[in-house]
Amino acid sequence: MKILIVEDDPSLREIMQRALVQERYVVETATNYAEADAKLAAYTYDCILLDIMLPDGSGLQLLEHLKQQRKRDNVIIISARDSLDDKILGLDMGADDYLPKPFHTAELLARIKSVLRRGKSGGEMDLRLGNVSLVPESSRVLVDGRELPLLKKEFDILLYFMQRPNHLVDKTVLAEAVWGDHADQADNFHFVYAQMKNLRRKLTEAGADIEIKSIYGFGYKLIPPTE
Amino acid sequence: MKLIYRIVLRLSAVLIPLMALWGMLFFLMTVDEIHDEADDALDDYAELIIIRMLAGRELPSLNSGSNNSYSITPVDREYADSRSHIEYYDAEVYIPEKGETEPARILSTIFQDNDDNYYELKVAMPTFEKDDLVRTILFWIVLLYLLLLLTLIGVTTWIFHRSMQPLYALLRWLDHFTPGRRNDPVPDDTNITEFHRLNVAAQEAADRSEELFESQKQFIGNASHELQTPLAILGNRIEWLLDNTDPNEKQVEELFKMQRSLNHIVRLNKTLLLLAKIENGQFPESSEVDIAALIREQAPLYNEIYESRHIDCRIDLPEQFVVTMNDSLASTLVTNLLKNAYVHTEPNHGIDISLCDRTLVVANDGDTPLDGTHIFERFYQGNKKEGSTGLGLALVKAVCRYYNLGLAYDYIEGKHRFSVTWPYKKEEK
Repeated sequence: MKILIVEDDPSLREIMQRALVQERYVVETATNYAEADAKLAAYTYDCILLDIMLPDGSGLQLLEHLKQQRKRDNVIIISARDSLDDKILGLDMGADDYLPKPFHTAELLARIKSVLRRGKSGGEMDLRLGNVSLVPESSRVLVDGRELPLLKKEFDILLYFMQRPNHLVDKTVLAEAVWGDHADQADNFHFVYAQMKNLRRKLTEAGADIEIKSIYGFGYKLIPPTE
Repeated sequence: MKLIYRIVLRLSAVLIPLMALWGMLFFLMTVDEIHDEADDALDDYAELIIIRMLAGRELPSLNSGSNNSYSITPVDREYADSRSHIEYYDAEVYIPEKGETEPARILSTIFQDNDDNYYELKVAMPTFEKDDLVRTILFWIVLLYLLLLLTLIGVTTWIFHRSMQPLYALLRWLDHFTPGRRNDPVPDDTNITEFHRLNVAAQEAADRSEELFESQKQFIGNASHELQTPLAILGNRIEWLLDNTDPNEKQVEELFKMQRSLNHIVRLNKTLLLLAKIENGQFPESSEVDIAALIREQAPLYNEIYESRHIDCRIDLPEQFVVTMNDSLASTLVTNLLKNAYVHTEPNHGIDISLCDRTLVVANDGDTPLDGTHIFERFYQGNKKEGSTGLGLALVKAVCRYYNLGLAYDYIEGKHRFSVTWPYKKEEK
């Protein structure tokens, strides 16, 4: 899997590259419009991470260019401007996803996986870890092929962790990701514990071989089965 | 008060007494002249009679077609000496032709013939003709006064309106001017120097504010870009440390705390951007939003998050309440009001949410009233809450101002009441 990172900030580029290399992707980088344009003309990539604001041009122009060349590369726009206009424009111009800055590395990896999977299977996509598979579109979870009924919040938590295996997640970050911005001033996290307790019990009872571990009492980590 | 009304009022205030004074003077002069003329006519008549009498000619008949009458009475010398030579006075006189008495002007004089006989001559002229004349003159003067006044004011109004057209065009244009939207140039089809200069000045001011607006928008965009990238880097580096260095408990705790502070900055940055966007009017697209449904959807979320506080939330909503708004702004409005209520309510107290008469009221129990003048300001916090941006109510205010909604805070019977009122619109039923 070959990925091109088009990002002008060296530090962010380095972090993204490091994270992707860790996930065993082949990574190339471009620091500006001209370099990206040249690389896109010469090679084909499975996925392009595209910053919209580049020093010598707009990422949207690059997208337009790509469309003209009838290239079918997957594109994820990474933009500092979290504006609906940019998002609509980008997706209209053929981008596959839109990720506003600042983002979590895990979020970026999850989006890349999702885009690549969508590209391969033509829409149908599910997440698989051990004997658990999860279909985001239809909100279904299967353990060993048997359906596991989950409540809405339990499902959202599982989806969040399935996208970030082996990643240590702060409970406040989890609360905000699942409950939204409302949760940022909660004075305790009983509501997270309660849902988490039920989810873990259901997973164990169904015989799932993945485990969401509590780490030092302030965070969680999903541990997939060791192969 | 409109300028034209002010001008008409002032014009009237000056013209009404002034023209009345002129009219009065004119009337008095005319009346005086009429009296004079009448006395002159009596004089002439008396002279004619005396001359004829002294010449021994035939006296004019008593009824000579006019209503004048005279009488000649012989008097003795003492009487003649005791009276003044000539005297005018008003008295009632009997007029035989009419068979009634009428007020008349009378001239009484005494003359002496060649035989030293004294006669008293009284000449009378009824005054009803004179009174008629005076009355007619008064009527016309009043009528002319009113006509002149009305014409003057009418003409002034018309001329004012015609001459002020460019000013009204400019005012209409100003009403529709909003920086950041497409604006027509200032209408300038006048050859009046002052208005032309005013239009040029307005155009310059508009251009300047457009420029400022543009550069402010650009600045916000750039600032956000400059800030978001380092924030992303910082966050990702913390994540990398957490996932790749096997930190111990103390280190994880510290890293998580860093992450939380960072998230706080991220949230602050996003909220400030949102505020700037609302205040710049950058949410043009709107749709039908059901506020009641929005509250029904959001309130349970808060109940779940703040469950440990045992807050009793009483909701009284109509079936539905549909307004035309941008849906993300509608949800910003509702969530920030609810969040404010939940965050600032003490455990085991209550929140009341009600919606009627197009007014949404979110009330929560509280001990002391808040400062209503500052509560909607940015970063104003009664008591500092950790992790709070201090921008929630400022966002509510910005959304309300954007849609011209009424927003009020008051403290009644131990409750903080925040109310938002949607004004009635013609197109909405």
